Amino acid sequence: MSEAEKISADFRKAAIEHLDALYGFAMTLTRNETEAQDLVQETYLRAVRAFGQLLPDSNLKGWLFAICRNVWLNQLRHARSGPRFVELDAEEEGCAGWFDSVASNPYTVFVRKLEREEVRAAIESLPRLYREVVVLRDLEGFSYQQIAAILGCPAGTVMSRLNRARERLRSLLDQWQAGAVEQSRQAREA
Amino acid sequence: MNNCDDIRSRIAFYLDDELRGSDLTRFEAHLDECNSCRRAVSGERRFIESVRASRPLYPAPPALRAETERILNGAPPPYAAPPELRARIARSLWNDAPFSLKGRRALALAAAAAIIVVLAGLWYSARRPVGDPLKRPSEFAMMAVNTHLRHLRGQLPFEITSDSPDDISRWFAGKVSFSLVLPNYQQSSGQEQLYQIEGARLVAFKNDYAAYIAYQMRGRPITLVVTSDRAATPSGGEAIVSRGLTFHYHTIDGLKVIAWSDRGLTYALVSDLEERGQQSCVVCHAGTKDRDFIEDLKPRSDTQ
Repeated sequence: MSEAEKISADFRKAAIEHLDALYGFAMTLTRNETEAQDLVQETYLRAVRAFGQLLPDSNLKGWLFAICRNVWLNQLRHARSGPRFVELDAEEEGCAGWFDSVASNPYTVFVRKLEREEVRAAIESLPRLYREVVVLRDLEGFSYQQIAAILGCPAGTVMSRLNRARERLRSLLDQWQAGAVEQSRQAREA
Repeated sequence: MNNCDDIRSRIAFYLDDELRGSDLTRFEAHLDECNSCRRAVSGERRFIESVRASRPLYPAPPALRAETERILNGAPPPYAAPPELRARIARSLWNDAPFSLKGRRALALAAAAAIIVVLAGLWYSARRPVGDPLKRPSEFAMMAVNTHLRHLRGQLPFEITSDSPDDISRWFAGKVSFSLVLPNYQQSSGQEQLYQIEGARLVAFKNDYAAYIAYQMRGRPITLVVTSDRAATPSGGEAIVSRGLTFHYHTIDGLKVIAWSDRGLTYALVSDLEERGQQSCVVCHAGTKDRDFIEDLKPRSDTQ
């Protein structure tokens, strides 16, 4: 196998390992399964075309995430200029309603036992800018500098946004815990 | 940084592995002394770990995985032009260009080109006697020399860089309209390495692609170009029959060219080697049993 083909094979192998993470990130951005799948496909198509530009020893995962976010931003810009309505969640978008739905939904009562599901639901309810920074740092383990490169913003912005995102997340999970305790107390009294 | 407020404002940086040097040393020194801050760090760590435990947020659906694998497995090697672009460029180079110009301007250009060709022909024939047309090298031999020279000038980058005949043969599979299997005498016989393959690429010839393989023998470049015998018939030069094959020897621009056809393929070897350049044949005939064959191709004293 030639050097070029070996690099190509290594790239394919490494790239497929990040599929779940990339799909999770695409879901974080789009909150829509079909759009997330399209976004991931487009990301890999572009990565394959641009693979030659990737410098040796570059962070492949970070590069894929950056492509994914850029593709999504381009689609968003295109959608903004077109007639289709696209939900844009602002940084200050509220997440009211999440706690109510968690507390009142019988299914959610069932899955409460699974903390992972609760955390996942809380992440989903965050505004998009918080959601993506939590996913990139806490789920995918990127450094502040790498996140800054993916998001195209200063590292200081990443730190402050991550701080606010975690505060919001902690607050949501605290509400859930308080709600669970209250439900348990009511059940005992009933 | 030694009071608890400062420490707590940096807990996230510490847990995110973003504290370095003296900041990290002072942070950890404070934790050693302060139970309250240690508890705060533990609490924050549990929170971040619980978030991390929700990974993966969404596993990719099987259909998306299959599609992604298809995209990745169809990926060409970096910098290789896609087949459709190749076909388009080949069409432009060989077919479309002369016919794409329309109208009077095209006619005027064609007329001017015809005059230039006629004048150039007259000038050429006036300067150089016309040789025996039967001795002229074939178009394929000329293309092989041109390919050799373009490579030496750095104008023909390889599309595959490998010293393995098997890798090169695999790379050509499906890219050319004929089957090309390069022999691997050196590896199979374990004999002294007489030559190295440098790399290969496609070259255009008569609306199709020929295979170009570059070798080095003791620092001297050898070019092998292969196409189907339908696309090229060797002709001209000094014809020598050996082992039932007819080899056509030329000297073009100081380079030695050997062209021949065998089992559906036409070959041209270009080198700057001595005599007829027959030593370049070792790229395919390096086995001991082939020594006589290469010896047969040496000019004898009566033909020199």
